Amino acid sequence: MEKKRLLSSLDRSIDEIRRISGGSSDVLINRFVTGGIHCALLCCEGMVSASVITELIFEPITDIPQQKDSHGLFHYINEELLLSTDRPEVGDYDTLFQLMNSGFAVLLAEGMTTGLAFGVQGYNTRGVQEPLGEGNIMGAHEGFTETVRTNMSQIRRRIKSPELVMELSKRGDKSYTDICLCYMKDRVPKALMERIRRSLDRVELEAVLTTGYLRPFVENGSFELFDSTGTTERPDVLCSKLIEGRVALLVDGVPYAIVIPRLFCESFQTLDDYAYKPYYATFIRWLKYGAFLIAVLLPSFYVAIVMYHPELLNSTLFMLLVDSEKKAPLSIVTEAFFVLIMYEVIREAGVRLPKPVGGAVSIISGLIIGDAAVNSGLVSTPLLTMTALSVLGGLVVPELNPQVTVLRFVFLAAGGALGLFGISLLACGVLVNICATEDYGFPYMAPLSPFKRSGMGDTAVRSGIKKLQSRGFTVEEYHE
Amino acid sequence: MNRISKFQFTALLLITDLFSLCCFGSVSLGTLWGILAAAAVQYLAAMCFAVQGGALKKWAQVFFLVYAVFSGGALFVSLWRTRSVVYIPYEASHGIWGSLMTAGLIALVCLYASSTGIRLVARAAVIAAAMALLSLSVDLVSAVFNAEWSNVSLPEKRGLLSEIMRGFGLSGSLGSMAVWLDSVKGDKSKALTAYFGAKAAAAAAVMLTVLPVVGGIMELTDFPVITAAQLSQPFEAQRIDSLFMVVFSVLAIFSVTLQVMTGAYLLGELIPRFQRWRSLTVIALVIGAAFIINGRELLTARACAAAAALLIAPVGAKKSAAKGSG
Repeated sequence: MEKKRLLSSLDRSIDEIRRISGGSSDVLINRFVTGGIHCALLCCEGMVSASVITELIFEPITDIPQQKDSHGLFHYINEELLLSTDRPEVGDYDTLFQLMNSGFAVLLAEGMTTGLAFGVQGYNTRGVQEPLGEGNIMGAHEGFTETVRTNMSQIRRRIKSPELVMELSKRGDKSYTDICLCYMKDRVPKALMERIRRSLDRVELEAVLTTGYLRPFVENGSFELFDSTGTTERPDVLCSKLIEGRVALLVDGVPYAIVIPRLFCESFQTLDDYAYKPYYATFIRWLKYGAFLIAVLLPSFYVAIVMYHPELLNSTLFMLLVDSEKKAPLSIVTEAFFVLIMYEVIREAGVRLPKPVGGAVSIISGLIIGDAAVNSGLVSTPLLTMTALSVLGGLVVPELNPQVTVLRFVFLAAGGALGLFGISLLACGVLVNICATEDYGFPYMAPLSPFKRSGMGDTAVRSGIKKLQSRGFTVEEYHE
Repeated sequence: MNRISKFQFTALLLITDLFSLCCFGSVSLGTLWGILAAAAVQYLAAMCFAVQGGALKKWAQVFFLVYAVFSGGALFVSLWRTRSVVYIPYEASHGIWGSLMTAGLIALVCLYASSTGIRLVARAAVIAAAMALLSLSVDLVSAVFNAEWSNVSLPEKRGLLSEIMRGFGLSGSLGSMAVWLDSVKGDKSKALTAYFGAKAAAAAAVMLTVLPVVGGIMELTDFPVITAAQLSQPFEAQRIDSLFMVVFSVLAIFSVTLQVMTGAYLLGELIPRFQRWRSLTVIALVIGAAFIINGRELLTARACAAAAALLIAPVGAKKSAAKGSG
């Protein structure tokens, strides 16, 4: 939009606003006279609170005594009336529309080339609710919402230190989306902040509608299987990351925050770990590591062993598998692919379908896969058991679900084609890729590789809180 | 040049030695002494190189490039030789095409790994080495239950000098050691101590568990370490030598990758304009070398090459360490 200065003539200014907005119906222009000066109050329908605008703007503003000119009127409003805490000045139409469309009311007066804006936002938003994707038993049950300012307040409520900095800016040539960069200024190195700001300066998108639009700009450009930035929908989790010296990015309209940098081991940590006794938290953590490996490797190992290395099975198990597989009409690899693809189709249907239909999908899938496919002999029971275990394992680490899903298929193909040798080859490739994942100098596999002994207290085990407290960890320890 | 830690350096080199150890022929207690004596001599020579320090002269770079290609080829040959005991689907039944397929697949992974750079491969090597050591120890500790300890003192077939030569032949990573030592962070001599210490400990542990298990049937087996892994089953009704198969493949890939990266780095240093296809060229050379030396007895050649590498490293080192790009 053109950065044209506001016109001094109120009539011409309103004509200009109508021209720029194309006569849009939600642009409300209220003309009135106060203090003997012709004025107009502009706002966007649905973005402001009617009660707030009446109480805080209209009532005091119509009681203004006679003023000699518009400058006197603006001076009076600025000095004598406290109409709103958020009162930016408007000098051009670009800013005027940005503010108006963000829920500000803008006051224009005859003869003035500036306007006064008042924050009277009152649009409907979803309230703070329990996050759906990051379940928690012992921690808070509040999640982020779609409103960036509400999310900022949720963080501020938890970290009251003045060291917490929140920088608001706008991205998107058309959407003017508010994004908020959050960090603890005493914990984050200045160089890292500069690099992140430079990365964000490269954003030239027309609209920023989800975190996925920004993540590629703050991630390494090379091919990485795993994400070197993370997301969270929990303010408490985000606060713990900020205290560890990470940087967060909130995007207006998205109930998720981007966390920079992200480490592999963090996918296995939850806030609940710190609510339980260390021995139980350690047990749960290793359970998750095991579940991740099962999720990725179990179907491929099953196929590879049954097809190429049956000598590894004991005789009872071997006979059991032979007995069930001889009835199946398809090869083991085809069977495994069939079951996994069926699962992915059902999962995707369950996610996209309206909730009332979701139940029907569960029943149909249960009947088709659980009963009909096995009874008809299309799929063998052991294979179905292995696949179900693998899928369940993947659900234990939901954050890695995209990677687990794809890797499961690729490993299955490798195991089916080349047995354990194929799995080993692919494992090496994946291992190198995962170790090569790095953003802003933070290796994704830290503290495992490069090995940092101090980091093992919250990776291999979960040490007691007193021990963790004395460690005073910041993510800078892992920087290379 | 990228900087790596002494543990990463140790892991990178140890992997090659572990793989060579897996493909080692018949062994006895004398073999262990031979390996340890060779490691001690190599350690002393390597310390001289560390004191001398710095990058290599051009002619030394040419030597180590040839050494990397030869060592890479020898690793491929070792892999092909083990085909009868380590099952790789389709490989044995397809003759030369099977060998080519195995080589091609390994080359693909090596190509990708070497494209990421030594620093990142070194990170992965630490995890691979740790997993390999863990799996080998599970496999070999379980061998203790099937051990016949009197086998340890079976009569020697070779003299100590011959065993020392075999020990020298075990060191395919000496060239890489000379090339990458300059990129190790901190005290280089500590890195060398860590590497040779780990090598000696790993060799001793493997030999002392292989001998009691396979000693009695040493005549019947070509690859005692692999046989020991196959015979050592911790569970009565369940075999776990697949674990060994996975470890074996991982060791093979990282060993070849190290040689390819060393060769590619040296090629880049020798011909600075030639940057883009360095890794691919070295892989092609390595596979070519493997086909040439396949079927020949390499022990003497490998031992001589290792000895030459140790002599050339200190002589071919520049006085001041010039930093290139990794």
